[in-house]
Amino acid sequence: MRDALALRDDELERIALALGREPTVVELHAFDAQWSEHCSYKSSRHHLKKLPVAGGDVALGPGEDSGILHLGEHDGVRYGIVIAHESHNHPSQVVPFEGAATGIGGIVRDVLCMGAEVIGVADPLRFGRVEDPGSHQRTVARGVVDGIGAYGNAIGVPNLAGDVYFDEGFDDNALVNVVAMGLVKLDEVVHSYAPPGAAGWDVVLVGKATDPSGFGGASFSSLVLDAGDEEANKGAVQVPDPFLKNVLMRASYRVFAMLRERKLVVGFKDLGAGGIMGCSAEIVSSGGFGAQIDLDAVNVAVEGMPPEVVAVGETQERLIWVLPPEITPEVLRIYNEEFTLPEIAYNARAVRIGGVTAERRYVLRHRGTTVMDVDIEFLTGSIRDELPYVECTRVEPARRELPAVDVETLLPKILAHRDVCSREPLYRRYDWVVRGRTVLPRGAADAGVLAPVPGARLGVALAVAGNPRIGRLDARYAGAHAVLEAVRRVIAVGARPIGLTDCLNFGNPRKPEQYGEFVAAVEGLSDAARALDLAFVSGNVSLYNESKSGRAVPASPIVACVGAVRDVGHVVSPGLRRAGSALLWIGSRELAVGGSVLAEIAAIEGDLPAIDYVAENEAMGMIKAGIARGSVLSCRAVGDGGMLVALARLAFDAYARGRRLGFEIDFANPFCETGGFVCEVTGDSELDLSGALRVGTTLDRPEIVANGSRFGIAELRRVWSQPLEEVYP
Amino acid sequence: MSERAIAIRLKIPDNEAYTALVALQRLGVEAERLERSEIWIVEDAGDPSSLASRVEANESVFNPNKHRLEVLASPQPRAGEVWIEELGAHDEVREHLGGKAIDGIARARRCVGWRLLDRYGEPVSRGTVADAADLLLCNPAIEVARLGPEGSRARREEAGDRA
Amino acid sequence: MSGRIAVLVFPGTNSEDETLRLLRECGGDADLVHWSNAGALDEYDAYVLPGGFAYEDRVRAGAIAAHDRMMDRVIEGTQRGKLALGICNGAQILLEAGLVPGTGAVRRPTAAFTHNAPVPHFVCRHVYVKLAMDPARSPMTAGLANDAVIPAYTANGQGRLVATPERLREIAAGDHQAFVYARADGSLGDDAIPNGSASGIAALVNREGNVLAIMPHPERDAWNFNHLDRAEGSDPLAPSGGAVFFRSFVAGVRR
Repeated sequence: MRDALALRDDELERIALALGREPTVVELHAFDAQWSEHCSYKSSRHHLKKLPVAGGDVALGPGEDSGILHLGEHDGVRYGIVIAHESHNHPSQVVPFEGAATGIGGIVRDVLCMGAEVIGVADPLRFGRVEDPGSHQRTVARGVVDGIGAYGNAIGVPNLAGDVYFDEGFDDNALVNVVAMGLVKLDEVVHSYAPPGAAGWDVVLVGKATDPSGFGGASFSSLVLDAGDEEANKGAVQVPDPFLKNVLMRASYRVFAMLRERKLVVGFKDLGAGGIMGCSAEIVSSGGFGAQIDLDAVNVAVEGMPPEVVAVGETQERLIWVLPPEITPEVLRIYNEEFTLPEIAYNARAVRIGGVTAERRYVLRHRGTTVMDVDIEFLTGSIRDELPYVECTRVEPARRELPAVDVETLLPKILAHRDVCSREPLYRRYDWVVRGRTVLPRGAADAGVLAPVPGARLGVALAVAGNPRIGRLDARYAGAHAVLEAVRRVIAVGARPIGLTDCLNFGNPRKPEQYGEFVAAVEGLSDAARALDLAFVSGNVSLYNESKSGRAVPASPIVACVGAVRDVGHVVSPGLRRAGSALLWIGSRELAVGGSVLAEIAAIEGDLPAIDYVAENEAMGMIKAGIARGSVLSCRAVGDGGMLVALARLAFDAYARGRRLGFEIDFANPFCETGGFVCEVTGDSELDLSGALRVGTTLDRPEIVANGSRFGIAELRRVWSQPLEEVYP
Repeated sequence: MSERAIAIRLKIPDNEAYTALVALQRLGVEAERLERSEIWIVEDAGDPSSLASRVEANESVFNPNKHRLEVLASPQPRAGEVWIEELGAHDEVREHLGGKAIDGIARARRCVGWRLLDRYGEPVSRGTVADAADLLLCNPAIEVARLGPEGSRARREEAGDRA
Repeated sequence: MSGRIAVLVFPGTNSEDETLRLLRECGGDADLVHWSNAGALDEYDAYVLPGGFAYEDRVRAGAIAAHDRMMDRVIEGTQRGKLALGICNGAQILLEAGLVPGTGAVRRPTAAFTHNAPVPHFVCRHVYVKLAMDPARSPMTAGLANDAVIPAYTANGQGRLVATPERLREIAAGDHQAFVYARADGSLGDDAIPNGSASGIAALVNREGNVLAIMPHPERDAWNFNHLDRAEGSDPLAPSGGAVFFRSFVAGVRR
């Protein structure tokens, strides 16, 4: 059995020493899950402390299942946006459909349990090379997207944002990150801990019947995948049930309403890693309590499971409430009778499984015997594992090249590049309009926008970013770049950035070079967030993303940015608006090709563009001011493929809306990915144009004229929209 | 070229089969267990003994972490079972098998197999299966149902009745 | 009739709130009614079956919900002339219940909304539907203009109408085509059909005109803020676009 555990010998010794005896089998599995990197952040935690976590818009920083940002007020009510960000990388590599679906399922519970209505999801994805139709990479790339769609569509949560990169660095280890967003009134937040005075309260488990699926999940995700392991890991396959989740969400909304009426403060938490044990221990421990749980009370799908499977197995679709005993019968009635959970899935229900104790011990009982009895702080809070790392340095280019570019041949190639071409074949499998609150749907612009509060003009924007071509060159820069890019995307639609989340996907922390990339990326995230005066309110660390040959994935700090919109009537609509407008490029225009699509296609090398936070803040301020004044007619952030691609996207968006417009530009190298924004402004613009460069003019015909080369927009759009059709027909 | 059939079943809990069973029971169909499988009826020119391994190599059809595969003795539904096939469905291998050809297989048709069992784990009678297909499992506007033979237990009981 | 509208919530329904909100905005006296409270349906004069994945589309889209206890009441109510509108999954349920096109027996469907073609996948896409019958054919469409064109989103994996040639002839001959997919200007063409649906049919109506099943969602493009091309300066919170269909429905309930 020792072989099935990820605990190290020194950790086992520590446990035996603290207990004063050999641990029981259940205790071994409990510590194995709870002390996994996945649960404890034992090695990453002290690095994460570098991130800014407080600020003007933060209503709740990291520490609970989700963070909360202050969105704005309507009718005297203050609304918050609940946001969480996670990875489901390893499960998705093994069983792509179920792995990705359970990723959405888990992140949605993290948001739900804060007392929020779940209003949107996003999915940053990183796949390997998918050109070969028979490759495992293609199976993963399809299965993941279908899993995300099947789950999100069924629970009725619109997919608002996401991105996808294809890179050989993900051939053996795809990254499946998921973001979920919820709406809550700030005075009605439910917390992930037992509130003061909760000693003697009930611990109530709600959801799917516990089964052997997902046993070993937490430690599984902290192991490196080997080809031969996939069969051995099958026990860790988690089975999603979005149908049950749909009902659980709606039943929980009903419980929230009942609690509000009775003005009760309770605890509510998602079951993730470590199952019943992990969730119940954390919810009581973070409130300063202990718990006694009776495993025989757990609703199970299969009789006779060993206690460690019931205690730490990661069956999906479960949550735990900490409730005053007088309210428990009403909560059970809502779930079991009004929302008929037992008819929805086999033996699904809400059931009391134990109680909160004042004594700070965590006790599990099974068939009349105590199978676990440990100091709860030792279990949930004591593990530290500071690992050595090697300072990460930039991969310097072998040459520094900036050849004259041939727009005529390069523009179609860059538009058809796997990182630039249209994502619509992928995201049309997602529902981006369910719930009827969508202002800018997925893919329509740089960020998705919702009007989340019925009857209010308030809007919320969501965008993600993280570029693996840059991650390979410089992890620290990649962290900063991801923040800047996500923030720019939110600004480009007319929103004010209010906060960030991150998911840090890196290699093996026990290899100092790979771990050094993680440490550097956190510094980069921190640099950029502080420079822009933004905080990270939640996040996740996914380590051991390493192929069987021992190579780490490209450094992948992935960032999501939430924006607040005061009036959805002022959101920037997609696409060029009219002929004869000036086109401006605002931001750095340094001619550097490092990390760009151009560099790959033209097989050239060069430096990464310098990051200048003063200039970034200025550029962002100009765009915000221009949009607020109404002088910005259309806008996009400059990203993969550079300025000309951003302008082409504005022309494509106009074309798709039936506006026959084009543009003419002249600029030495329009494919450098130095950031900033391109925007169309009114002729009589009051915009302060110092720092902006006029690069061209919009035309009254669907044509792009770039450095003298002419392209019909219909044809160019076809080139851009086709490539992923084969992967996602 | 001979016609063979393969059944692919989930080895993880089958949510769909559970819901279908609850609905059938509410409709008065007497069954205690319901097994769902994906049935592939293939025209195969390859070695029959290697059929399973050839299909298992196609990961868009078969994932060892969640599926188990069985080559059926005959390309016919068993006792207690009904195969539901969409009318006019394409029979191109590539379309069905995730865009990837399988050596030796020229054509493939896909059905959903539903097998109804009583509380002893025995197949229910052919009439009960027909009811289940008629009431829920088959939409005759787009699907056709193929019933398996009468189960041995039902036949035994019938014989017992006569005796 | 007092004109009370029940918005049915099956396990797995996911579009109940926006449907309810728009009905109320259009003057409807509407409430949500839950599957565990099926008996309450008797107190209502019209039923709206919103979108979602009732029972997760297990077995077939709409198949299990068609046998739900709530559908016993809907079948009985519509036989007595009450109105029923199904949107997307609600349309699939009405079809599986045999209420549209209504050319066969109850709960013996004569057609299906099944997997999209050519690729059997979920598709989310903006569409337009055009009224393909005399508005007076159904109380629900009586408030619409001839050939009315309404914006909507299609968002389903199984929205393609399929039936045998004989049943399709029956649908055409019986004037059961309520709406067809169209371009924004009302012209027809294969490019306007998102899923290969037979004859481009987007909605079916029964013989009596009191049951209508529409696959795309007019309620998702029903407020100014939903439109990507809204006029500058327009009130983002004003209903428009797909709301016209709901106004007509509410007027039909009141009639």
